[in-house]
Formats: sequence, C-alpha cells, structure tokens
Amino acid sequence: MAAIHDFDRRWIFLAMGVLVTTLYTLGSEKALTNSEYVDSYYATIEALPEGSVVMLSADFDPASAAELLPAYTATIHHLLKRNLKVVNVATWPPAPPYTREEFYRIAPMYGAEYGTDWTAMGFLPGDDVAMGNIGQSLRSAYPKDDVDGTEYDNLPLMAGLGDNMEGVDLLITMSAGYPGILEWIAQVGGRYETPILAATTAVQTPDLFAFYPNQCVGFLGAATGATRYLQLIDELTDGAVEEVKLENQKRMMVQSWAHMLIILLIVVGNLIYFFGAKGKQGAKA
Amino acid sequence: MILALQQAAPQFFDLTPGSLDILGGWLVCFFTLAVFSFLYRDNPFYKTAEHAFVGLGTAYYTLQYWKEGIWEPVVEYMEERSADMDAGELYSLGGMDIEPWLAISLRIIPLLLGLMLLWRLFSPNSWAPRWPLAIMVGVYAALKMTGETQSKLVVLLAEAMTPLTDPTKVGWAEWSNIEQWDVFFTFSKIVFFVGLFCALGHFLFTYKRTPLLAGVSRIGVITLMITFGSMFGFTVLGRIALLIERVDALEGYSAPAYSLVDAPPPGTDPGFLNAALSPPFIIGGIIVLLLAIGAISRRGKSTA
Repeated sequence: MAAIHDFDRRWIFLAMGVLVTTLYTLGSEKALTNSEYVDSYYATIEALPEGSVVMLSADFDPASAAELLPAYTATIHHLLKRNLKVVNVATWPPAPPYTREEFYRIAPMYGAEYGTDWTAMGFLPGDDVAMGNIGQSLRSAYPKDDVDGTEYDNLPLMAGLGDNMEGVDLLITMSAGYPGILEWIAQVGGRYETPILAATTAVQTPDLFAFYPNQCVGFLGAATGATRYLQLIDELTDGAVEEVKLENQKRMMVQSWAHMLIILLIVVGNLIYFFGAKGKQGAKA
Repeated sequence: MILALQQAAPQFFDLTPGSLDILGGWLVCFFTLAVFSFLYRDNPFYKTAEHAFVGLGTAYYTLQYWKEGIWEPVVEYMEERSADMDAGELYSLGGMDIEPWLAISLRIIPLLLGLMLLWRLFSPNSWAPRWPLAIMVGVYAALKMTGETQSKLVVLLAEAMTPLTDPTKVGWAEWSNIEQWDVFFTFSKIVFFVGLFCALGHFLFTYKRTPLLAGVSRIGVITLMITFGSMFGFTVLGRIALLIERVDALEGYSAPAYSLVDAPPPGTDPGFLNAALSPPFIIGGIIVLLLAIGAISRRGKSTA
C-alpha cells in the first residue's frame, strides 16, 4: 500500500499524453447528439431576416482559442452565409488578430465586402465600462475602425447604427472569462432589448445555465457545443466547414476516452483512499 | 485548426494574415514541447518558454493599451480637433455639435486625472491620486450596481419563482404520448427549489442550529458539492480540450512541408525519414535527450 501512496504522478501525465496522442493519430470521428442550448443558438441566427446587423464580440485570447476558435469560425460562416451584417468588436487585447484572420479568409467565400457587410472595430480597453460604452454609443466608443483607421461615418454599415444599440439585432460573444458573457448581460442585456448569444469555454459554461433562456438565448458550451453547432451548419454552408467539423468530431472521440481515463483514476484513487484508511484503523485496533 | 484549412505549401517566413510559415512551425513545436517538459520537472527549456511568453505578452499588451488607450484617444484626438479648429468646423460629441476647443478641454480632464493617479510614484502619501481613485471606484460601483443587480439578482429571483408545470406542454391528460409528459419538468423544478432553499438555509447563521436547520443545511451542502463537482467536471473538460488541440497542432506540423527532408510529390508516401525529421520529432528528441543527460549527471553527482 505504501508503494501506491508513493506513486509518482508523472506516470499519470505520461499515460494521458500517450492515450491522447495515440487516439488522435489512429482514431476516427464521433458525431454528437443535439443539445437544446445549441439548437437555440442556431435557431436564433436562422430567425433573423436577411440584412440584419449582428455585433460579434471576440472576448478571448490564444489560451482559450482551442475551445472558442471553432465556434468563432462556424459562427462567421453561418452569419455571412445568411447575408447578415457583422460588426466586430473586442474587449480582450489579443482578439482582433483572430477577427481579421478569420474574416479575410471566410468573407470572400460569401462575397462579403468590408465596410458594407462586415467591419472590424478592434479592441476597446475598459472591460465592463467599455461594454457599457459600446452599448451606449458605438460612435463614441469607436471613432475609427481597426483595419486602416477609417472614420466611423465613412463605414456604410456603421453609419446606419444609432446609440443605445439601435440597429443592432443580435449580440454574440465568444467568451473566455472576464470580461465576457456575464458582463455583456449586465451592461447591455439588462439595459437594452438586444438578445444575446454566447460561445463559452468549459470553465465558464456552468455559470451560464442560470441565464438561459431569458438573458442568454442560446450558447455553445465548450468545444462540445462548437462541434454540435458545426454539425448543424455543415449542410447549410455547402460543406465549407466540413473539414473543421470532422476535426472537431475527432477531438470529441479523444475527449471521451480521456474522460474515461480520468473517471477510472478517480475511482481507483478513492478505492485506495478508503481501503488504505480501513487498513490503518485495523492496524490501530 | 488553421493548419487543416491552409491549402498552399507554407513558405519559410510569411507574415500574411491567415497563413503559417515553416519558421513559425518550428517555434510553435519548440514552445509547446518546452512547456510540456515541465511535467517532468522544472528545466531550462521550460524557463526559456516561460520568459518568452511573459516578455512577448507584456510587449503585446503594452502596445495595444498604448495604441487604444493613449495614442488614439489623446494624441490623435487632439491633432484632429486642432485641425477642426483651424478649419472652423464643429465637432459632434454625444449627439451635440460643440466647438473643437471645448472637446479638447473635456478630453484634458480625464488626462489630468490619469496623471494625478501616477503622482503616487513621486509622492506616496500625496492627496492627488485619491481623487481619480475615488471617481473610478464611484463610477465602477454605479455601473456594477445597476447592471449586475438587474441581471444577477432581480431577473434570477423572478426566474426562481416559476410554476411547477411547463406551460409549453399539454400536460398530464395526454398519457398516451410520452413526449408531452411534463413530469420531468416538474421533478426538475422541485429539485431546483429544494436545492435553492437548502443551500440558502446553509448560510443562515443568525439562528440556533436546531435539528431541522441542521438537516436543511446538510442537504444544502450536498447541493453545493454537486454544483462544485459539475464545475470541476467542466474544468477538466476544458483542460483536456486544450491538450487535444496541442496534439492536433503537433500532428499538423509533422506534415512533409515542415520536414527537413524535401517534401515528396503529392500522392506519394512521405516515408518514415520525412516524419522523423519534422519539427515535433526533432525538437522532442533533443529535449528528451538533454533532459536525460541532465538526470544522469545529477544522479552521478548525488552518488558521489
């Protein structure tokens, strides 16, 4: 028993590494079943009339991109395929490069033009205060865009928007933590009538259940939610997200087995703990 | 993921948005494997990655805040309003057209408050930083109080007081159609109510712990434990997703285009040598080899 108590935890890291690498190299894709929250996210975007304006807030960084980038990519495909106008904002400093990269790649597929179909307004410092400012007046929050410093009024898409979220039909946030979906709900959702959708990291997902469906109309919880969403929009986008979907489905298969290993380790650890405690009591008696 | 979407062969050095280059691939593999090497023990590879991460992160954040927080709202703003003044044009602020000199004056106030905040660096006990600090705390408290009270207290309290039956379902009468049963909805509402009531009861410290209150508190603790367990589960889910993404990236960089050996013609088998001379294997091999040499030399010293 003493040998088990002295077990080097690095063997567990190694086992997890070997399991994930082997399964990822040799494994196949795993399709997921639908979820109410993801269906609601999809249906909310589908329900918007063509030409509606969506504010897409990138509130993440490279550390959370693994979980949120698939959802971000899928959302951009869905919005542009449906001919919706996208106003990009960000409250996390490392987010704007992701916006530019994804839109430069995806927008030409749907013939979306910068300035009329989408804009990138960039990062705004100030966390929740910045969110309140964006809600109050986009014009004063962003006098210029983030691409080449074009004045707000010279961007046709922006010129049509008013103060107090007037003209914005939907707000979507890719939320990695603070500031994120909870702050958007407090600063914008609670004050204006704009419905809010979110894609969140796994850590933040449990916080969101309490806000669904009244304050957050739908959400993609972690990479699992993103994969479900990719499955939903695959046909709609004529296979444009097929490769990303298959890659994420493969990740889900690996994730399931990694969870099985963790559950097994928790069970074994508890058995060792309880039998070890019983053994010690017997020795004392 | 970008790796999977990149169609063209990567160049050695390419800063075009959305494209990856060979040099970047080698760096990504080095930093990923260097960070993973910490799982074995603290070592110079990990330290290098850690210092590079902190340095690059600080540089990036500083530049972003400089651009968005100082250069554009102060320097460029002043220049543009001066130009407006020279041209005799009005400036639109908050929906009102005002004189440019007034816009400049209004922007000087927050600038002065910012400078007062920095006065602490020269005189730690000065009164100057207290004024902007008081304004910041006041504004922040007001913002938090209005928005957060509405979204996290008022609305959630109202949502906690909902009927036990689902208004969207037909109800108990339709026994033949299981899809229309709302028994699960009612059951979940009862669990929610009992959980909420008992969890709140656990934090009731103003009354003596009678057996009834102790029982309520016990159920409250179990509810909280289940909640924390669920949150922990989601945290593990996130961490595993990050690991899988890194393995995905390493697998992508083991492609023939990144290998030291020339890529074979499309459609032919790249062979073992091509994969063995790709960034993840070469860098991983070097790190493992050097760590093993370090471990052997330490063991030699400790036995001596």
